[in-house]
Amino acid sequence: MTASALTRPGERDRLTVKFTQIDWRLLVLLCAIAGMGAAMLYSVAQGSWEPWAAKHLIRFGVCLAAMLALSMVNLKWWFHLAYPAYFGSLVLLAAIEVPGLGYTAMGATRWLDLGVTRIQPSELMKIALVLALARWYHGATAQEARFHWKLIYPALMIGAPFALVAHQPDLGSALLLGMTGAAIMFAAGLSWKIIVVAGGTVLAGVWPFIQFVMHDYQRDRVLTFLNPEADPSGEGYQIMQSKIAMGSGGLLGKGYGLGSQSQLEFLPERHTDFIFAAVSEEFGFVGSFGMLLCYLGVILISLRIASLSHSHFGRLATAGVTATFALYVLINGAMVMGLAPVVGVPMPLMSNGGTVMLTVMIGFGLVMATRVHRYVELPKGNGLF
Amino acid sequence: MSSEPSIFFSDVNERQGSFLRRTFVLGGLTALGVLGLTARLGQLQVVQAQEYTTLATANQFNFRLVPPPRGIIRDRDGVIIAGNRPSFRVLVVRDETKDLDQTLDLLGRLIPDTLERRRGIIRDVNAAPRFSPVPVKSDLTWEEFAKVNLYANELPGVMADMHETRYYPHGGSFAHVVGYVAKVSDRDIKAVRDKGEEPSALLFNPGFRIGRQGVEAALDEQLRGEAGGQRVEVDARGRVVGEDPENSRPAVPGKEVVLTLDTDIQNRALEVFGEESGGCVVMDVRNGDILAMVSSPSFDPNLFVSGVPSNIYRAWADYERRPLLDKAIYGTFPPGSTFKMTTALAFLDAGIDPAERVTCTGGYRFGARTFRCWKAGGHGSMNMHDAIKNSCDTYFYHLCNRAGVDRIARVAEDLGFGHSYEIGIAGQSDGIVPSQKWKREYTEATSWEDDPKWYPGETLSVAIGQGALSVNALQLAVMTARLANGRKAVQPRLIKSIDGEPYAEATFADLPFSTEHLDIVRAGMAAVANDVRGTGYRASQLGLGDILMAGKTGTAQSRDYKPGESRGPRNAVWSRRDHALFVAFAPHDAPRYAIALIIQHAPAGGSADAAPRAREVMKVALLKDPDMRARIERPLPREPEAGSIIDEGAAPPPPTAAEPGSAAAEAVPVSPDPPAPQDLPGPQPYLPDPQ
Repeated sequence: MTASALTRPGERDRLTVKFTQIDWRLLVLLCAIAGMGAAMLYSVAQGSWEPWAAKHLIRFGVCLAAMLALSMVNLKWWFHLAYPAYFGSLVLLAAIEVPGLGYTAMGATRWLDLGVTRIQPSELMKIALVLALARWYHGATAQEARFHWKLIYPALMIGAPFALVAHQPDLGSALLLGMTGAAIMFAAGLSWKIIVVAGGTVLAGVWPFIQFVMHDYQRDRVLTFLNPEADPSGEGYQIMQSKIAMGSGGLLGKGYGLGSQSQLEFLPERHTDFIFAAVSEEFGFVGSFGMLLCYLGVILISLRIASLSHSHFGRLATAGVTATFALYVLINGAMVMGLAPVVGVPMPLMSNGGTVMLTVMIGFGLVMATRVHRYVELPKGNGLF
Repeated sequence: MSSEPSIFFSDVNERQGSFLRRTFVLGGLTALGVLGLTARLGQLQVVQAQEYTTLATANQFNFRLVPPPRGIIRDRDGVIIAGNRPSFRVLVVRDETKDLDQTLDLLGRLIPDTLERRRGIIRDVNAAPRFSPVPVKSDLTWEEFAKVNLYANELPGVMADMHETRYYPHGGSFAHVVGYVAKVSDRDIKAVRDKGEEPSALLFNPGFRIGRQGVEAALDEQLRGEAGGQRVEVDARGRVVGEDPENSRPAVPGKEVVLTLDTDIQNRALEVFGEESGGCVVMDVRNGDILAMVSSPSFDPNLFVSGVPSNIYRAWADYERRPLLDKAIYGTFPPGSTFKMTTALAFLDAGIDPAERVTCTGGYRFGARTFRCWKAGGHGSMNMHDAIKNSCDTYFYHLCNRAGVDRIARVAEDLGFGHSYEIGIAGQSDGIVPSQKWKREYTEATSWEDDPKWYPGETLSVAIGQGALSVNALQLAVMTARLANGRKAVQPRLIKSIDGEPYAEATFADLPFSTEHLDIVRAGMAAVANDVRGTGYRASQLGLGDILMAGKTGTAQSRDYKPGESRGPRNAVWSRRDHALFVAFAPHDAPRYAIALIIQHAPAGGSADAAPRAREVMKVALLKDPDMRARIERPLPREPEAGSIIDEGAAPPPPTAAEPGSAAAEAVPVSPDPPAPQDLPGPQPYLPDPQ
């Protein structure tokens, strides 16, 4: 226990020692996934670093550095900043609703225009919600977590950002927030009775929701998913082309850079949401199964890190981040394979796009910080800080 | 773990235990999810791999139709009458555009005039099958073509390519006889289906054009060629990224068609009409080759290739001179005095002595009506030769009922009137040659007149080429050629060869007239053009040395005149004027070319309007003939010799070699060279040797 002595209570943290506590298996898997992403972006750009692959690598490098830096941050700082980060994010989310501050693109107001740059507060919220819920459960008793009127607090903490994000509208992010929150509540020990009742209510509410609340394009996506062949040139086109790309890859794939669906641009959004289909086409069943195993590895290692944490905050925060990541992977995978509607959820670390990568890597910074500071004792922390 | 300081309270232990169990469940669920995805991967990539590979190949490869180049149409010298030229065009595929309006907005910035035709474009694009490209503009400039290609990424569903388009280098000259090509209409498709055939894919190709008139329509099958197929690799936007030559089949070009027409004569013939309306046909009298066949006013067939703008089409359709109507073979006219050779032949056939004289006092009283001669003062005493030369109506009024209308009709049909010809193109009118039988049938078929009986008074009108008689320019040219060439019943020929194979070369039967009779008529025609008192003398002088023309003028009423009304005032309303006609052949001593020219509603008459124009066209035909050139360019100075050809034409000398008692001998006062008709059975074969 000498190596871990520095992170025990009352002992000074030394960076050189803390650095050795980083989970190298996790780091290697993350790098492997991002590297594979860059390789595929290079391929679908017809063998060119431009316009995606080079930027992807640079972005990952920056995010990786950020992650390593964040993993050195003592868990208590994460703990203290949990509520302020949540409320800050909530204010930004609400600010989008103020006319003039929100930036609209493609029919959805998801961005906050800060003049110099635009940020997407829903992404910040994905981390902030996890931190805030972990913080709340950290201070709650087992009974309160199981079945108690106080569960209204975490429910509201999830419900407020969910409503705001759904109103943008960004159904993918809203669902991700809701499901992440639900996963944390579940992990914290929610009573099975509540789970069954809530699950039943959600299932019963799906049809009226699709029919009366959804926007037309959202409903189209859902209905198209149910029957993609009905409209092979419109909404069903993406799903059909994705399935053709994957299926024609076969067991071993067509070879790197040789996928006709990806190279000839039949595969839509092949550099973002549908990049996994490009992997499947060029590397076949073997390659895509390998990728799924990498993702599964990341998830299981992260859950292991969660279970080893001495603080309830660390456990739940890590579990929350892991749940977000797992949801990304499963939803995107189901989407490209034609098992879920096209909801615009990217494959984390592979798809081109900076915001999601930053969110995910900040999340893994938190996971790493939990690992490095797994013995840290946190206060009960009933206040806001 | 019991030594860990954080676990002091049971509650904390309970929370941790619960968390570990739940995390285990979460991990299991994730693994289950990944397992589900793996199963789906297996289904897609292992079980259904074959099926999706087929779909991917269908995506990747396209079988493209390669349109064949349309067969070229050439004139007798190989000059291109209808060819193909490369053209850049823009096409729009409806299904690949995200928003047609927006795409057309962008395209309008690159090619401004697509904005003006926007409604038509939207209609065309929406009418086409979803994935088929619709050409929205042809004949782009290089700059426009480059611009469209440059902005291709911003213009999904828009592509620019190069294709071959039909081109008629001589504009309107051949518009009626060669015709034009135009877009395939639904009616064309229906016509093919009605024949019980499946229309070929070629018909649906956006650049394909179908023959619509004349040779283009009649020989469409031969000119069309066979489409090829090309297996190409395409990207998602349908752009070709690779070719697969092994699985491709080249297109078979359409067959080349050579016509008997001559571009120079044809162009000149259209030119001489100016603004006048009418038709002109030039024929080789020896073999029936049609050297020119023109209808005026004409139109630019090139406009039909890309689609005639509606305002231009309206103007063509509404113009009273009818540019779209073919006045060489479809439009029929009363032949007027150009019919008098036919009547004269009928007289001879009936045994009337050509020397018999009739005195013309400016009219002929028949029954209750006076039939007027065109010359109010009368021509005096006329025999057949003089009557043709002076175009004396009275002579023909007087004698016609001795021949009878049926005999005139029979002669007319033998000379080529009243029926159409197998020249390979459609759209000919038969015209009308009246006879007793004709009137009977016509009266029965229509309620034109109650009385089916033929009255001798009607024969008088037919004798001078009026009445119900109607002919077209081709028939007049055939008549002239048959009169000129000896006694061969030549058949007109338009198509010389298809793909190098000669097309229908016929041997000609003899005309059922004696050569003597034909010579008398020919001599009359020579006098018309070369006797200073002939009706066409001034207008018929070719100025080509000893090559002279023989002809006949005609001025035909286009309506009935009221008694006492003066004939055809020069500035009358166009549609109420007389038609002017002229038929001629040359050289008169060894005929080679025959011409018939009709001017519809001419300002003056046959001698003033039609003859000079025919002369100009004839000149071109003669000058293009190397034999004629040799004859014209022969060195002048020769030892003076009696009967030498060289000094003829200067003045009409008295007929020295006249045959006593022969009207024909008198007829050729200007040319002592051609011997008397008795000496030769037919026109002298050309190659006169002065020595």
